[in-house]
Amino acid sequence: MKTTTVAIRSTVRSTFLMALVAAGVGCGKTPPASFRLNMVQATKTAAPESGMEKPWSSWANGRQEQVATILEAMYGTPDEPVALAETGLDLAKLQLAAGPVRSDIVGRKNGLYREHCAHCHGISGDGMGPTAAFLNPYPRDYRPGKYKFKSTWRDARPARDDLARVLHDGVPGSSMPSFALLPPAQLDALVEYVRYLSMRGETELALYTYAEQELGVDDTMPTTKEFLVDEILTPIVEKWQGAEEARIPIAAVPVTLDFTKPGDDPANQESVARGRALFHGDGGCVKCHGVTALGDGQANDYDDWNKVIVEWGKEITGGLGSSQDDAARSAWLHAASDVIEGDALRPRPIPPRNLRLGLYRGGRRPIDLYRRLYTGINGAPMPGVGPSGPGGKGSVADAEIWHIVNYIRSLPYEFDGELGADRPMVAKDRF
Amino acid sequence: MMSPSRSFALFACLVAATVVGCGPRRVSSPVADAAAAVTIREGLASTTAVAVGGGEAAATGTGWAGLKGRFVFAGDPGQPKALAVDKDTEVCGKSSKLFDRSLRVDASGKGLADVVVFVRKSSRVKNPVPDTPQVFDQKNCEFLTPVFAARVGQPIDVRNSDPVGHNTNIDGTSFNQLIPAGQGTTYKPDTEMGAPKTATCNIHPWMKSYVIFRKDGYVAVSATDGSFEISDLPAGEPLEFQVWHSRATGSGGGVVLERPDLKWNPKGRFVITLQADETKDLGTLEVPAGSIGT
Repeated sequence: MKTTTVAIRSTVRSTFLMALVAAGVGCGKTPPASFRLNMVQATKTAAPESGMEKPWSSWANGRQEQVATILEAMYGTPDEPVALAETGLDLAKLQLAAGPVRSDIVGRKNGLYREHCAHCHGISGDGMGPTAAFLNPYPRDYRPGKYKFKSTWRDARPARDDLARVLHDGVPGSSMPSFALLPPAQLDALVEYVRYLSMRGETELALYTYAEQELGVDDTMPTTKEFLVDEILTPIVEKWQGAEEARIPIAAVPVTLDFTKPGDDPANQESVARGRALFHGDGGCVKCHGVTALGDGQANDYDDWNKVIVEWGKEITGGLGSSQDDAARSAWLHAASDVIEGDALRPRPIPPRNLRLGLYRGGRRPIDLYRRLYTGINGAPMPGVGPSGPGGKGSVADAEIWHIVNYIRSLPYEFDGELGADRPMVAKDRF
Repeated sequence: MMSPSRSFALFACLVAATVVGCGPRRVSSPVADAAAAVTIREGLASTTAVAVGGGEAAATGTGWAGLKGRFVFAGDPGQPKALAVDKDTEVCGKSSKLFDRSLRVDASGKGLADVVVFVRKSSRVKNPVPDTPQVFDQKNCEFLTPVFAARVGQPIDVRNSDPVGHNTNIDGTSFNQLIPAGQGTTYKPDTEMGAPKTATCNIHPWMKSYVIFRKDGYVAVSATDGSFEISDLPAGEPLEFQVWHSRATGSGGGVVLERPDLKWNPKGRFVITLQADETKDLGTLEVPAGSIGT
């Protein structure tokens, strides 16, 4: 009798264990990869109107489904991308980058984005891949279409070669590696795919803005060509296609300056002194990078990607804190709090760069530094010292910017004692 | 020693924990309706020309009119909070202490300042874009205009009257430029904004003001007594006005009022058709306490 009980018990036990293992491993095929909506923006722009009668969650869900459907119509899925003719995107390149990692019939590698990029930047290009939370800085979220390191005007999109350079060189000082070992055709396909993910993300944002500004509670999103292509897509595509012509002008390097020699070479002393004066004066660099240039000035600011989360977080906390008798608004605030908790990375402040490390994320060539100074860094607090657009007036004349470049390049080699007795630290101890 | 059943229970718990996972859960993202997506895509790919402007002919009138009114706040605005000034303290907040300006209510008349009123769409514009620059200044580490409205294409003289450097960062535009102490620069906005955006200084994070650029220039910001006026509006056509405040709880920052006569909607908008040569006075527009958030 006893043995039977034991036998039964062990059978039950093993069945239970197997069931658990099966639940863990899962059965059947893996579902195809799918794009996620930008849940932060989807929820943020769906604040209920006062006295809304429908339950908020079912209403919001309905609208989000419409957006997901429209996006699938315009851009397809991660496995099967679609490029409308109006986007000017090259479908063959997108197909090379999209989908699971595999070889095609001629043995060519496919699924490049998922092989090289998705683990950090995410399937949807949201900068929230599985590894993202562990990286500092966080991987770029492509969806707002904002890029830092480029040769174009501040709010212009990056040109193709700007993106290609970031892929080729990586971003020093961040987790972004160099992909210089990939063949040019593969880099090209990845650049196209990043542009595709950005256009898709911007389309999604434009749809939310439209819904917030134009649609009432009972309205559905229009799906006509006039609306989706002419009104929503065209302005986005124009920005991307205009990027190649939106480059900032590059002033001639002053004759007194010789970039082939190190910044501390006697030949460059005059220029370095001029750059130092601008750094502490009209350039205003000391305000954030500090008088020591260690990046210890104003340091509790956020970049645009993190700022969205910080500001919205404050709004939600404030709303949840005050008494809410409006059911729809209260439902929205709770949903918003879940989204910000589970669907956004914890915001981190962006410290100004320590300029004594000789480490420049956007590249270390003089022209890279010139571009960072001229327009500032799009998406980051860093302002430009050049004009904000063609024909404008900057706070530092174009040619003078080269002297600041020269001074910055001399900083890593500057004698530590010059930092002053009250700040006896060297760069390597700071980082 | 642990009994076998106890250790089994522990093991089962561990397995269960692995399956469930830890950490914050990502909220589920709604999925597309694949069949509907295909139908929409076919519609987008079609090259058949669709009749444009098949709707009713837009009513266009003649002549020009004005609109005015005065916003008052029905709630208790409370005391404005002092701002934490921790940079350049030898200059910032020195001549007068800095306070939060997000809700400015006139103590005597309850007038609500900084309410933005603008036309969403107009068919005609009377005046050309002015060439005279509008001044957007900062002093005492504060933007002197809490809400700044300008016309697209009109030059803005962005000034810094402080003895310290500022950068002026206008969200949604390419303008984030460093303005050295006592200097200025000119900026010509090139894109229209659907709602006011922030202008901030990254060097002094407490500095914040709102900016709106409109193509037709039909925009007004209520003064300290709550009054506003927009003139030279096209008469004889229905005009939709948006009313906005930085702390309004309506969707997209819309200020919601109890004014059924104006069909004031939950986005903070109303439609009105003006007669030629009249200056319509909306009278006192009472903003309920609940329309302004924390």
